[in-house]
Amino acid sequence: MRVRGMERGPREFAEFYESTRDDCLRIVLLNVGDRHLADDLVAEAYTRAWISWRKVRELEMPRAWVVRTALNTHVSWWRRRRHEVALGDHDTAMPAEHGTVVSGDLVAVLRRLPTRQREVVTLRLLLDLDTETTARILRIAPGTVGAHLHKAVATLRTAMPTHATQEIGR
Amino acid sequence: MNDNHTVAAVRDSLATAKDSLAGVHMDTPLDAIARNGRARRRWHRLTGVTGAMAIMAGGALAVTTLAPTGQSSSPASHAPAAQLAAWTVDRQANGDIKVNVRQLSDPAGLQSTLRADGIPANVSVLGHPEPSCRPYPMSQALFTSVYHADKTAASGDTVLIIHPSALPSGAGVQIGATVVRAAEGRGLHRADVNQAIHHAALQPAHQVAAHNGVLRAVLVYASQQCTGS
Repeated sequence: MRVRGMERGPREFAEFYESTRDDCLRIVLLNVGDRHLADDLVAEAYTRAWISWRKVRELEMPRAWVVRTALNTHVSWWRRRRHEVALGDHDTAMPAEHGTVVSGDLVAVLRRLPTRQREVVTLRLLLDLDTETTARILRIAPGTVGAHLHKAVATLRTAMPTHATQEIGR
Repeated sequence: MNDNHTVAAVRDSLATAKDSLAGVHMDTPLDAIARNGRARRRWHRLTGVTGAMAIMAGGALAVTTLAPTGQSSSPASHAPAAQLAAWTVDRQANGDIKVNVRQLSDPAGLQSTLRADGIPANVSVLGHPEPSCRPYPMSQALFTSVYHADKTAASGDTVLIIHPSALPSGAGVQIGATVVRAAEGRGLHRADVNQAIHHAALQPAHQVAAHNGVLRAVLVYASQQCTGS
C-alpha cells in the first residue's frame, strides 16, 4: 500500500533506502566496475530520489529508477573519456575506470554493450523486470526491448564460460 | 540452445556475478542522503533552477553575493599571487599558471580567478559538470603539454601547473574536483564529504579539507557558456 502524506514520506523513503540500497549498489557496480564511482553514483541517485520522493514513490519500480538514474549520471559524466590528474599521485594520468574492482569476462562485456542494450539487460536480467515493465520504464515498445535483449544476450553469451565448451562440442 | 535458454543462462551468470558482490554494502547513511537532498532543495528554492545547473549557479552566486571576505572574487592577474583561504592562483614569470589547492571550496571562485588570468576555464564538482562544455579531443602528449602536476610541493598542497601557451586555439581547461577518496582516507565519511562538496558550492565559508583530493583536468572547447570566452 502506498503511503500518502508528508509525515510518512521520510519514513517511507528510509524503508525504501534501507531495503534497496545494497542491491542497487551492486547492480551499478557491475555496470561501472569501480566501487568508489558506484558509491557516488548511487548516493547521487538516492539524493535525487529523496528530493523527488513524492514522484518517485509513485513509480512502478522506484528501485529501477534509482539504478537508471545512477547509470545515466555515469553516462553523462563519463561520456567524455578523460585524462585525469590525480593530485595525490602527481603526474599520473589515470584512465576513467581507475580503481576497477569488479572483473570477469561477462561483466567486462556488459560494460561494453551499447547504452540501451545495457539498460535492457540491467532491468530485465539484473532487476528481473518483465518485458512490459521494462518497456514502460524505458519508454520503448516491448518488441524493442526484446530486440535489444536478443542482441545483448548474443554478445554476453560469448563471454560465458560455458560458451567455449558448447562451441567446441558442436 | 534456444533464445529462452540463452537468456536464462545469461541471467544466471549475471546473478552469480552479482552474488559475488554480497560483501559490498552501501555505507552512506540515510542522514547524509537527506542532508544532501535538503541542501539541494533549499538551493532550488533560492534559484528556481534545478539539477546540475543549480550547483554551478550556486557557486557563482556564492562568489558574488556570499563570499565573506571578497578575496575569491578578486582578479588573479596581478603580482603577488592571490592569497586565498582555499587555493592560490599564481602567474609565473614564464606565463604558466600555478594553481595551489589546499581546500576545494568555492570552485566558482577558482573558475573566476583562472578566467581573470586569461585562461578559458570551467571548474565544477564531481557529478555536476557544466552541460554546455564539450570535450576537446586530446592526446596524452597534448594533455601533458597543457597540464603538469608539481611534485615539489612539500606542503602537501595540490599543485597544478597550466601552460597557457600550449593550449590549442579554441580550447579551454576544465577542472572537476572530487575529494571523496582522500577525505575517506583521513577518516571522513564519504557521504559527509559529498555533502560538504555541495555545501561548499553554496557557502564558500564552508571549507572542505581536500589537499589530497583529485582534480580531473581535461580540455574542452572554449565557449562563452562553458569557459567564459
